[in-house]
Amino acid sequence: MQDYKTESPFDITLSEEQQITWDMLRKFAETELRPQARKTEAEGMPSQELLKKIKSLDLIPLIIPEEYGGMGLKQDSVSSALALEALAYGDLSLAMSISIPLLTAQIIAEHGSEEQKGKLLPEFVAGSIFQVGLGINNALISTDSYQSSVTAKELGEEIILDGSKAGVAFANDAKSFLISASNESGECGLYFVNKDQEGLELEEKEFMGLKGTPFSQINFSNCKISCSQKLGGHNYSINYQSLIDSSRIGMSALALGVCQAVLDYVVPYTNERVAFDEPISNRQSVAFLIADMAIETEALRLMVYKSAALKDLDEDFHKQASLTYRFATHHGMKIGTDGVQLLGGHGYTHEHPVELWYRNLRAIGIFEGGAGV
Amino acid sequence: MIHPLLPNQLQKTQETMRMAAEFILRPISRKYDKAEHEPPLEMEQLNQAAAAQKKQTGMTDDSVKSMDLGGRNLWAVISLEQMCWGDVGLFLARPGTGLGNAAIMAVGNAEQKTKWGKRWAAMAITEPAAGSDSKNISTTAVLDGDEWVIDGEKIYVTDGDRCDCVVVWATLNKNMGKTAIRSFLVEKGTPGFSVARLEKKLGIRASDTATLIFDNCRIPRENLLGGKEEIETDANAAKKSFGGAMQTFDNTRPMVAGMAIGLGQAALDMTRALLAEEGYEDNFGASIHQQTAVQRELEMLEAELEAARLLVYKSAWMMDNKMPNSKEASMGKAKAGRIGNKISLKCVEICSMQGFSEDHLLEKFSRDSKILDIFEGTQQIQQLIVARQVLGKSSRDLK
Repeated sequence: MQDYKTESPFDITLSEEQQITWDMLRKFAETELRPQARKTEAEGMPSQELLKKIKSLDLIPLIIPEEYGGMGLKQDSVSSALALEALAYGDLSLAMSISIPLLTAQIIAEHGSEEQKGKLLPEFVAGSIFQVGLGINNALISTDSYQSSVTAKELGEEIILDGSKAGVAFANDAKSFLISASNESGECGLYFVNKDQEGLELEEKEFMGLKGTPFSQINFSNCKISCSQKLGGHNYSINYQSLIDSSRIGMSALALGVCQAVLDYVVPYTNERVAFDEPISNRQSVAFLIADMAIETEALRLMVYKSAALKDLDEDFHKQASLTYRFATHHGMKIGTDGVQLLGGHGYTHEHPVELWYRNLRAIGIFEGGAGV
Repeated sequence: MIHPLLPNQLQKTQETMRMAAEFILRPISRKYDKAEHEPPLEMEQLNQAAAAQKKQTGMTDDSVKSMDLGGRNLWAVISLEQMCWGDVGLFLARPGTGLGNAAIMAVGNAEQKTKWGKRWAAMAITEPAAGSDSKNISTTAVLDGDEWVIDGEKIYVTDGDRCDCVVVWATLNKNMGKTAIRSFLVEKGTPGFSVARLEKKLGIRASDTATLIFDNCRIPRENLLGGKEEIETDANAAKKSFGGAMQTFDNTRPMVAGMAIGLGQAALDMTRALLAEEGYEDNFGASIHQQTAVQRELEMLEAELEAARLLVYKSAWMMDNKMPNSKEASMGKAKAGRIGNKISLKCVEICSMQGFSEDHLLEKFSRDSKILDIFEGTQQIQQLIVARQVLGKSSRDLK
């Protein structure tokens, strides 16, 4: 049974504005991101030229308040999800090179103290979008998703950080980091740490996928920061679970974009690939895999929409976001692996993008804090 | 606006239907599972409850009964979902509702709709040698003067014994394939029409499933639904004609899929209730290291069910908005059919001996659910329909 309040009818039609943004971003994904995916992966990061193009999409200034140099438009979650899906259709790494700084800016704009906002937000518009590195992913295997593998011990005006955060994107470009840490009373909050802080050490890491985004691990060892470096100020407390849930909707939207890419790739391939004198898609064993791929992709789309729509209504979206991310994780991987399977040996090589999507889709369910809605 | 959410008004419908399911269907679930072939008289109560609901929401037509849903398909799907949360078999046995009504509404002319729309009409398609390939049916209809003569055997006719009339699919010419297939309305009591036997089934035992025999059964000429007596020789026209008949299924697939969603939810709810007695609590969104295997399993099943539900709602919403929904209807049916079945079987396992026991309804749900992945097009037929559309293939290329 449902338990939210709305008078609006059930609907799955994009608004005119959403359609325009969708068309624009999807075209950008196809013409600018997809062709650069292999090169970006080989070089370990996007070219400066591509980054310039990504930045000129103005997705970050859009959500930054006018007093900090942005356009101050309130972006609804559904529209954010649509944008993420459209970008990930091109390439997941490249989509995350914009979705991660976008999420960072969103978090600071929503939760930052006046001082923190004044200091950092204008830079997102005028300077580097990677100035603040976001540290959400846990380095330890078994840490609770709604807690951090970094501990924050509060000693008067001082906070001591210990532990590690994994998968921090573009850490080399960052001047500071916004990392999550759990305090002794079990609350998880976010803290700014300067890069040159004593007790902080960066370690570059390579992953099986998302290779177009440079990632680092941050190790904290008796790292002392001031309590004013807590996001929102000393006494501010953030709903960390809600932040993770929102990010999970975003990650699911990204997964959706990749799933759609796989589907749109295997359809013409299996229609053209001939074996035993006819297209392999004439066989049910092939065709049914594709039917299921289409079914689960469409289902994921509706799950993402619903989660985002619930968030837009200011209703509790914890359960819906959890279900959506679980669904995206399970079926994303299934679609990734079936994508390679359908191309057989050809799918296993770099001649086709399906092996890249296979590796990237494995990030879904693992990465937290990679995109927000 | 992207808003895959139910407005308050539909949530109220859900609540009303759920109450009816809980207080009218559930108490007699086991009784009619045991007393197979006995008509569930209590179901009249449900019709009265539905009439009251109709009055409350200001609906003017008896939508579910007549299957003339005119923009109310989403309403019907969520109503069915809640009814089948109560009991699928009993819902199917509800007097006055049959698949034949959907066919009359989809294929019949205005006069036929008025005449038979509100009668209880069953649908007779399947034959011993023709199931999903309904173009190969061998029941014949021959025009003799002002009467059609129907001959043949039909099996698996839901409501076949208790209904007022049957919509029978027959061929005008066995050599002409699907282009010659028509549907006819045959009244109960017509000489030459008899109920040969009732099936004993794995589940949905409250619903009667009949074998019907038509032996030199003569019906009036005007009982040909849609009234088209000539056989099209033009391939396109022929395709369109059969497509029209098959369209009945585009309309009813979301309904049957909705039934599977209701059943799946019922199994999950009952499993949680039984587990709660032993201290279980959900832990949505936690990492695999914080969840128990059962929390993890139930979360995944719930996610699959919610995904199926949204597919089904979308296909009904498309119908309400007059969008072609053949692909989406099959997507929803495929997903809901298999997931309803998977959930109900998994729930029996999770609840162990209590799940397997007739003390509870979980075992019954797991038997009832199987038919929802079979009738109105099996899982494999749905996959075939989806695959053909996604791949842009004809039935000749993708068999």
